[in-house]
Amino acid sequence: MRLVPVYRPRASALHSARAGAVSGLCAALALTGALFENPLVTGAVIVAAYAAGAAAGVGKEMSRVALLALPLAALVTLVNPLVYSEGDTLLIRGGDFLGRRWDVTLEAVGAGGLAGLRVASVVMALGLLSAAVDPDALLRLFRRVSYRSALTAALAVRLVPVLARDAGRMGEAARCRAEPPERLLVARAALAGALDRAVDVAAALEVRGYASASPPPRARRPWSRHDVTVAAAALVVLAGAVVARLAGVGEVEAYPSFSVALGPAELALAVGLVVAAVAPLLGRPARLGVARG
Amino acid sequence: MAEPLVRAEGFCFSYAEAARPTLREIDLTLEPGSFTVLAGLSGSGKSTLLRALCGLVPHFHGGDAAGSLEVAGMSVREHGPAELSRVCGVVMQDPERQVVLGGVRAEISLPLEHRGESPGAVARAVEEVALALGIERLLDRRTDTLSGGELQRVALAAALVHRPALLLLDEPTSQLDPVAGDELVWLLRRLNEDWGTAVVIAEHRTERCLPAADRVLAMEDGAVGCDASPEGFLGWAAERAQPLATPLAQLFARAGLGPPPVSVKAAREALRTAALTPRRAPGDTRPSPGEPALRLRGVWLELEEGPTVLRGVDLRVASGERVALMGRNGAGKSSLLRLAKGLVEPTRGKVRRGGEVALLLQNPGDYLVHERAEDEAGPPGLERAGLAGRAEANPRDLSGGERQRLALEVALGGGGHAVALLDEPTRGMDRAHKAALAERIRELPAAVVATHDTEFAAAFADRVVLLGQGEIIADGTPAEVLGGGWHFSTDVARATDGAALLPAEGATLLAAELAR
Repeated sequence: MRLVPVYRPRASALHSARAGAVSGLCAALALTGALFENPLVTGAVIVAAYAAGAAAGVGKEMSRVALLALPLAALVTLVNPLVYSEGDTLLIRGGDFLGRRWDVTLEAVGAGGLAGLRVASVVMALGLLSAAVDPDALLRLFRRVSYRSALTAALAVRLVPVLARDAGRMGEAARCRAEPPERLLVARAALAGALDRAVDVAAALEVRGYASASPPPRARRPWSRHDVTVAAAALVVLAGAVVARLAGVGEVEAYPSFSVALGPAELALAVGLVVAAVAPLLGRPARLGVARG
Repeated sequence: MAEPLVRAEGFCFSYAEAARPTLREIDLTLEPGSFTVLAGLSGSGKSTLLRALCGLVPHFHGGDAAGSLEVAGMSVREHGPAELSRVCGVVMQDPERQVVLGGVRAEISLPLEHRGESPGAVARAVEEVALALGIERLLDRRTDTLSGGELQRVALAAALVHRPALLLLDEPTSQLDPVAGDELVWLLRRLNEDWGTAVVIAEHRTERCLPAADRVLAMEDGAVGCDASPEGFLGWAAERAQPLATPLAQLFARAGLGPPPVSVKAAREALRTAALTPRRAPGDTRPSPGEPALRLRGVWLELEEGPTVLRGVDLRVASGERVALMGRNGAGKSSLLRLAKGLVEPTRGKVRRGGEVALLLQNPGDYLVHERAEDEAGPPGLERAGLAGRAEANPRDLSGGERQRLALEVALGGGGHAVALLDEPTRGMDRAHKAALAERIRELPAAVVATHDTEFAAAFADRVVLLGQGEIIADGTPAEVLGGGWHFSTDVARATDGAALLPAEGATLLAAELAR
């Protein structure tokens, strides 16, 4: 089971919108998750990313991203109380070890949970990016800035699963031998095979004129309804998050005592985030002109 | 007269640290719009010549070049692949290894984007080439979801998108099933006839390409051994290089008929003119079954969130049987072999093995993990692989055929198996190596070989099982299954209406007809 989703074209407004707009929406969601510790806001980012994915037909992929995000969030939650021992409410009194006290406080556990939720919200937003944005189109955006670096990144994106498949095949071949060879030998052979493959791909690039390559001219494509709505959603999410942050919405105080702002402003921000992220994908307009081929 | 597209005079090339030159004193000219087949045994220099024509040799691979080789007036010694790519398109053997990007549209656009073409020009060229090659439905697909045949068409589109004057192809059908291989050759013929693209194609199975070709260059030990029309080449091969002769040319040569036919149609015409209608000799029956070496009962393989690969397959392989497992790509051949070995478990049904099962998967290189050939299979295995003198060689430096033989011995691991399973063991192999492999398979206690190669199947098998959509759709003697097929049939069978499958057998029947 793949936890990191692989892009597959689908008949959805999100998949039909230009890569820049969709990446903008995902980046805005990720930035919101990174800016706020407030669980209402980070939770809203998680819901928004999942709901947008589900509306775009990648709900199953987003569930898998959630499976990836969950242990990461749990890890952060567990590590935080071990690192910070501030806070008024002592839960576990630890002894002195390695020159410091190892007390676990309710505030440190709570702060860990909030940080875990924050990490999960960023992971979910990036998961949506991975599931809904064509990596070739995304890297094409960067080719005008640094053509060769972007192409190298595109190659890496394509070759990683190919090399993983190669390694899997070699592992199977090892199982087919009367006396399976040592893992190190198989790993070394897999590495040599990867180099051979890289040489072949480099040769393919050479015969397609890579050595004389220049940054491509800017493409001027008319904006579709989906480009416009998704870009607008990205702007709304970004503006809402930045303005709310500057206005002090969603404040969280972890130490010395735990306090989380959960007022109407936070609720409005959370609802606004979800609505903004999902709105371009709902209704009849979202279904217009999304099929391919 | 038009300027030649390719002109070579005394061109020689040696790879760095190679003991002898790979290309020797190449003299040739290729005209615009010509269709040339490059024939030759493995290691004869075909691939290196193609790589020289597109500038990879010497600029990418390194080595020493001498003499002159010009493509569209550019010397390949002075101009690199980037400059030559303006006039050359290249398609290599393995489509998986030449696809660079994840999306089909992006992949085809890449050569034009490298040239800094405007987005409008790129979009138009991609649409046009996709329509011309019939792949417009693939444009929005991801490259990792395409079949081998589709991927090879995408590679062809990427090679043609800038309308090169010269298209170079290195065994482009070797990884494809017969249907996809034939389709690709027909496409090349159309490109050549409708758009005047000069084509140079290296192929082991020359019978596919000869009907479309104007000319054949046969490479022998790095030099051009024969430069002639297809008919002239077949006459030369019958006398000088039997393994290069097509099955139909071998049939005619053995039967004392002439001239050698270039196509099945020409062979049928010649036989009809000579009033020869060979009839199959009776008595071609399956051997009586021995002890079961492998038994599959009602085997299903259903992938999680994927298709049903095998549907209730019943197969009994007896000791001493050699079974050819055939079917188009995706029919379930490889899955059946992996299941028989125990690499995957059936979702329903039972697999019974009469002892150890050896499996050689599709890529022989996956079995070779040591630095010395002798460390892979030991001295006896090396000897059985015909590599007794190559104990110190690095397996990666061996030729494709040598690696295949060594990998087979590694998989067999000294013997003692009830049955050996081989998955597409002849990919990229020349006829001489295939004949040797057929001999080796006949020495095995029992074998099941998945193959697309009908001639090879007819050469070693005493039973042919045809898979379609995960089910066995034909199971019989080679004569029964391959004698009357359209695609799953040999050229000799097509020419003799299924009376014979192989040249020797057909020649015997023709000789009997002539005697009558």
